[in-house]
Amino acid sequence: MSDLIYLDNNATTRVAPEVRDAMQPYLADLYGNPSSAHTFGRKMRQAVEHARAQVADLLNAASPDEIVFTSCGSESDNWSIRGVLEAHPDKRHIVTTRVEHEAVRYLCENLERGAYEVTWLEVNEEGLLDPESVRAAIRPDTAVVSVMLANNETGVLFPIEEIGRIVRQTSSAVFHVDGVQAVGKIPIDVRLMNVDLFAISGHKFHAPKGVGALYVRDGVKLSSFMIGGGQEKGRRAGTESVPYIVALGAACEVAKTFDGHGTIRRLRDTLEDRILGTISNARLNGTSDRDRRLPNTSSISFEHVEGEAILAQLDEAGVCVSTGSACNAESHVSSAVLRAMNVPYSAAQGSIRFSLGRYNTAAEIEYTLDTLPGIINRLVEITGV
Amino acid sequence: MPYYPARVNEHFLNPRNAGEVNQPDAVGEAGSLVCGAVVRLSLAIDEGLQRVTQARFRATGCGFLIASASVLTETITDLAISRAASLPETAFTDWFDGLPEDRAHCAALCRDALHAALANYHRATLNEWTGDEALICTCFGVSENSIERAIHTGSLRSVDGVTNTNGAGGGCGSCRPLIEDILEDYWRTAAIQPDSGAR
Repeated sequence: MSDLIYLDNNATTRVAPEVRDAMQPYLADLYGNPSSAHTFGRKMRQAVEHARAQVADLLNAASPDEIVFTSCGSESDNWSIRGVLEAHPDKRHIVTTRVEHEAVRYLCENLERGAYEVTWLEVNEEGLLDPESVRAAIRPDTAVVSVMLANNETGVLFPIEEIGRIVRQTSSAVFHVDGVQAVGKIPIDVRLMNVDLFAISGHKFHAPKGVGALYVRDGVKLSSFMIGGGQEKGRRAGTESVPYIVALGAACEVAKTFDGHGTIRRLRDTLEDRILGTISNARLNGTSDRDRRLPNTSSISFEHVEGEAILAQLDEAGVCVSTGSACNAESHVSSAVLRAMNVPYSAAQGSIRFSLGRYNTAAEIEYTLDTLPGIINRLVEITGV
Repeated sequence: MPYYPARVNEHFLNPRNAGEVNQPDAVGEAGSLVCGAVVRLSLAIDEGLQRVTQARFRATGCGFLIASASVLTETITDLAISRAASLPETAFTDWFDGLPEDRAHCAALCRDALHAALANYHRATLNEWTGDEALICTCFGVSENSIERAIHTGSLRSVDGVTNTNGAGGGCGSCRPLIEDILEDYWRTAAIQPDSGAR
């Protein structure tokens, strides 16, 4: 067992050795520009196009031409929404949910302060979204419907396939899906899901930070993200980051062939069951129906204890997790996601997210399960509730 | 690399005096609606010596809050209540070699709980004692007479001097102008009657 037990795989992941090996030559001898006409340049072009095909294959896109490389998930999300609005200046209405990642939520709050109107869809106490609420929200002037596939905090999955069908049947709005947290964890099929735009981020599934992609279904009107040298068919100018694009392609390949999802799920289930079964103030955030959650994520609240204090003590014990509560003088914002789910304040402030990955072992989960009860007991004792 | 600054981390991981004093002489609570933190102090006080003999805390909050409460209870144990009442705001930053700006409120919350506890103690004693002197410091229940006595005995010249002696003015601070008036009156009278005690 290594010194560090990394249970924060929804934040970022380790670069897979296969991915590192694939990108290495492009950080060394293969430094050409894919736009160059000489053989050396065309070799780079080939590498980029190979990666594009790998991404298209993982998402089951109809053609590699529907994949555009970006710098990260936030860029893909921002570009989607802004790009649709710019391409449809007559439409000023957006439909999204209260529990989106900040890259969508804060952007829409920002747009709402300007010339746009936003309908915020609610989730229930289990974090689930009723697809019929999308139907009710869509208007003739709706430009874009933006709904995430998997929630980053709770792992709750939204019924994208059904929502996609509703959007397509009832309107001409563009359907954007933030798929950042889902890729590499569950199978993705953008055609089956009736998706127009699908955002992904490399570092969430074992590529390095600094590379993402956007699936743009053929025929969807989206304005260019950057104007310049005409790269990415004029949709996103800027010299391609060849090593990182190659890495993203390799990560898609690795994800496609990865067969350890069952192990990750079993480790997560063990962790979740034993915490909920043995620690009396622990409660699960998000639906208990595990088919409607990512197989790697558990968001658990420890009532009457501060999440930061738990995180700090786990950190001391060498276990990396996240908390949904950010503590400072101006605000103690328990996460917007937990607030939207009506999690009581006394529980929301003590929320811890455990997110597992392919490199976690049973021994690491045992160690965490051995360590955690003592930490919670000590903090509960100090609280005295 | 600890999550919190080294000295905060040490108290956070090994908090001193967590719990409740058995049959406390004073309890005080403070909470923040903004960050959700709550801290509760319970004290045993020696009535004759006017000294804190035991201090315990309960805290719901981050490591800064727990560490601040821990170090506070350690500091005020065996301290005269007047000294405890007048602990300066900078005390916590001194103990921890500085606190991040956005966490200073955790320490302030502990100080508020201490003031609440001492006010609670004085109110309890005042209720038993039905004196008819004017009450100047309502936070710590200090009368005009005891302030004059303190000025006389200690030959005090400043409000801070009074606060350090009996706590008056160390709470909300609203009586500090009154204490200043009492000081002025005292020393004006002393100037007219030079052998009345001022040296």
